[in-house]
Amino acid sequence: MATVTLINVAKRFGAFEVVHGADIDIADGEFVVFVGPSGCGKSTLLRMIAGLEDISGGEIAIGGKVVNDVEPADRGIAMVFQSYALYPHMSVEQNLSFGLRMTGNPKADTDRRVKRAAEILRISELMDRRPRKLSGGQRQRVAIGRAIVREPQVFLFDEPLSNLDAELRVQMRVEISRLHKELGATMIYVTHDQTEAMTLADRIVVLRGGHVEQIGRPLDLYENPDNIFVAGFVGSPKMNFIKAHIVGRDARGVVVELAGEKKTRIRQPLTDAAPEPGRKVIVGVRPEHFGDAGEGDADLAVAIDVVEHLGGTSFLYARTANGEDVVIQRDAAKVPDTPAVTVSIRKSYLFDEKGLRLR
Amino acid sequence: MRNRNATAYRFLTPYLLIFAIFWVWPIISSFLISFQATRTVPWRFAPGFNWGRLIGDPAFFNALKNTLLILVIQVPVMIALAMVMAVLLNSPLLKARGLYRFAFFAPVVVGEVAYSAVFRLMFSLDFGIVNKLLNSIGLPKVDWFSNVTPAMALIMIAVTWRWAGYNAIILLAGMQSIPEDVYEAATLDRVSKLKQFFHITLPLLKPVIVFCAVLSIIGTMQLFTEPFLITERGGPGGGTETLGLLLYRQGFRSLNFGYASAVAYTMAGLAIAITLVQLWLMREPK
Ligand SMILES: Nc1ncnc2c1ncn2[C@@H]1O[C@H](COP(=O)(O)OP(=O)(O)O)[C@@H](O)[C@H]1O
Ligand SMILES: [Mg+2]
Repeated sequence: MATVTLINVAKRFGAFEVVHGADIDIADGEFVVFVGPSGCGKSTLLRMIAGLEDISGGEIAIGGKVVNDVEPADRGIAMVFQSYALYPHMSVEQNLSFGLRMTGNPKADTDRRVKRAAEILRISELMDRRPRKLSGGQRQRVAIGRAIVREPQVFLFDEPLSNLDAELRVQMRVEISRLHKELGATMIYVTHDQTEAMTLADRIVVLRGGHVEQIGRPLDLYENPDNIFVAGFVGSPKMNFIKAHIVGRDARGVVVELAGEKKTRIRQPLTDAAPEPGRKVIVGVRPEHFGDAGEGDADLAVAIDVVEHLGGTSFLYARTANGEDVVIQRDAAKVPDTPAVTVSIRKSYLFDEKGLRLR
Repeated sequence: MRNRNATAYRFLTPYLLIFAIFWVWPIISSFLISFQATRTVPWRFAPGFNWGRLIGDPAFFNALKNTLLILVIQVPVMIALAMVMAVLLNSPLLKARGLYRFAFFAPVVVGEVAYSAVFRLMFSLDFGIVNKLLNSIGLPKVDWFSNVTPAMALIMIAVTWRWAGYNAIILLAGMQSIPEDVYEAATLDRVSKLKQFFHITLPLLKPVIVFCAVLSIIGTMQLFTEPFLITERGGPGGGTETLGLLLYRQGFRSLNFGYASAVAYTMAGLAIAITLVQLWLMREPK
């Protein structure tokens, strides 16, 4: 088991910089998820840790030892690829044992490790099959099994579940969580799916455009996003952003008025230097933070376009008088039957024009 | 549905007609001719005449021996060489890849007569660059055209030069269809590059290698141009005569079409037999 430390790590492809100085500190045995939209550099970062890509700048240390110039094979890591990358001409058993056989590991030990991995992943009855004859979920297990037999200090996963259907994805997510508990190894997991990140991670690293936007525990990111990107990325459906401006300030905070909604004023306590009255800001409200009229900080009249019933809860897709789209979460029992409805804002976040959180 | 097929076949008729006349009929006709004595006028049906002669003809066995010898040595050497070339072409370290790819492929499109003439020049006893090179590293001159063993070697060198690049390009295409991440997984599995080649590249390339081998076997069974042009009609003294050359001499020199047809069918039969054995040996384990 080992810590993983990234200090100002950068990656350039030619003149094109795709990772801009990432600082990430991963504790021994921690499950860390790199999450961000496609193309933000998650895989590149992971592949630099694995040693499959050169590091253009900064330092990566595994278990306290700088590995910039260490061969991938000697870094004590194992990786699970999105495409599984199984050896197509080998049986499951051979896929699992290949690396150990090729490096002269004693046969008894190899057999023991393969047997154990097969038991952990419940693939013992598939050992003689070729990858072609396996379902997506089974291939994924074999790919994970191949990582397990290496008994690595650090597991790396690159979007391991994105080729599976929704139901299997949920099931494998639970299995990976269980695996982490069972093995206690450090795991770094890349995904573009915030649900996967929220459910699996001890800590999440949110990336955008090669920058680390925020690092924190799932609930910290949800409750206390540093900026509008993280606020929008974490949580589903995503947070609503409504244009507003400052109408007053005093020692304890500011009063903001939603654009085009003279009656909707929200008082926000601020400890940072508050912006001057007249400055434009953005108010963020999560769908689940709307309440009945009169029970929150301010009321807002909306017109409902579409209602989505999920069973216990429903989502109202609505529009404000100013023409802004908002999504409102409601108990199914409380869905109004008229299109015009007034809701209250129970909790909100304030962002400046650049998208940075004001608090 | 039926109707649409009928229309399609009507459009295909001109092609099918030509195919039948110039392709199917000669195949059937030469088979029939192989059962006729064709040195008499008119030809007469004599089933044992050509086939019987074949079994006892030293010229036939000489040609068969030469053809098989070339096959057994040249095809494996060429495919091994093609594999090395493909690995080099596939290396990320290689600069100007397109140029090499073209250079390797170029021999196939060079005219046969031109290439044979150049080979005769290069290997000529007193003026050839090959003997000059041999001399310069202290080896004796070789009389490539007057002795059987060097002449056979020359044929094999020439055929290999002409077709190795072609096979390398096919192997390269096969190599490039192996996903990169399989190698990355093996690298992380601590498997060395050499072992990756023998345990991943080669097994995954097996179907492509079999394809190349089959093409080469069929090509070598029909070998004609090189012994005809480079070693001057299978010289010295029939030392490089192949089945293709024997067929040509019997058919178009002696106008003995019956015997030539029997030789042609023997060549085709051997090519099919060897290919089947090859496919059987390389079959996928269940
Ligand atoms: N080998 C490469 N050469 C050039 N650009 C690359 C290469 N690999 C990735 N990139 C670029 O780097 C960026 C990040 O890629 P990647 O790490 O794969 O993103 P993610 O995994 O987050 O979707 C993308 O803009 C991608 O186009
Ligand atoms: Mg990726």
